[in-house]
Amino acid sequence: MLPDASHPVWEQIATGKRPLESRKPTVNLLIHSNKVRYEQDQSLANVRLIAEKTHHFFRQYEALFPAEVAQIVV
Amino acid sequence: MPAPISATLQTVPAVQAAIATGESLFLAGSRSALSQLPRGNWVGGTISYFMTGEGGLQAEDRIFVTRIPAFAIDVRAEDYGPQELARINGDAPAHGFTFLVLPAGTQVHRHFAEQAPSLDGFLLRPVVGWVTGVPVDRIGLDSPAVFNGRTGAILEERCAALHVELPPSKMADLDIVNIFESADGEVVRFDETGFHVSQCRIGGKPANLADYISENKISTEFPLVGDYNGSAINVSFQKVDPVARTVDLFAPVFPDVDYRFAKSVDDYEAAFVRQIAAEGGEPYFSCNCILNYLYGHLEGKRTGSITGPITFGEIAHQLLNQTMVRLYLRDI
Repeated sequence: MLPDASHPVWEQIATGKRPLESRKPTVNLLIHSNKVRYEQDQSLANVRLIAEKTHHFFRQYEALFPAEVAQIVV
Repeated sequence: MPAPISATLQTVPAVQAAIATGESLFLAGSRSALSQLPRGNWVGGTISYFMTGEGGLQAEDRIFVTRIPAFAIDVRAEDYGPQELARINGDAPAHGFTFLVLPAGTQVHRHFAEQAPSLDGFLLRPVVGWVTGVPVDRIGLDSPAVFNGRTGAILEERCAALHVELPPSKMADLDIVNIFESADGEVVRFDETGFHVSQCRIGGKPANLADYISENKISTEFPLVGDYNGSAINVSFQKVDPVARTVDLFAPVFPDVDYRFAKSVDDYEAAFVRQIAAEGGEPYFSCNCILNYLYGHLEGKRTGSITGPITFGEIAHQLLNQTMVRLYLRDI
């Protein structure tokens, strides 16, 4: 089961501190997009925004990407 | 008995009949073939090259048909200008996907290519499709176009979308098949987003890309490969001008991506068969790049069991080059 949106794991993924390995282009495009957005603006507000979007993404695609979800579940 | 009208190459009368029964369709065909179709819930784009069960072929009088499945909850055809691209994801269903066709070489094509990754809804509203074209011997003479079957419009400066809402038991899953991988050369970086480039940094040092390609005798048959967290996304070469010292590309490069030149591929057909076998599964929709068809001499050859239009660019969330795109509708 995915951690709640307020769980710190989402900010760790947003900032790249918790790397995700994937062979799925859709997931890797998200991780790349997170990296670009974080490098452009490292404010806490932006980190939270990226984290929210990342949570939204995995909530939507939870059934498609079990290998990646398994890396997130803590 | 006629062939089932689902992801197959069909005659114009067969497609006319399908539209008349109210089918929702995503179509690929020549301008003359698509122009013969009645209004209905369909969108299409101009292309004359197809990957079929019998191999790659060119046809002006047939249409590649992707039938929207009966379980779709809602299907809507729309079109958008270059300043309206943000509306695509806004109009897309919360659960489903969008088929999109973009006319090659237009402002709407360029804007989508440059802006898609930064649009609201990127990745959350799956967009899949391709860039329309013309027969290669008509490039510069004829104009690529898209068709909005709902309005009857033939559009050369707008893109057309078919928004498909899925039931909760189904989910769209986009995948790409890229037969290219990075060679072991130095990283190429760009300071700006664009299709037309000159200056870059290679191995961290300022360089001119056109000069570097000429001096190192690099084949532009093979793309630049961008590294997106381990997924390879290609940018293909359109033209290198050694006098102007510029390079034109079929997709934009982005400043936040590490690029490398690709390893050469000798046998495209075998490479595709290998990759498709590795991933497995029959997609609901697929398209492949015209450059693979031309450079790989795929006319008359098969790419595994995969069929679909052969296109001037592919879309899986964002614009791709020299890539096969696959859309699966998964049971969840």
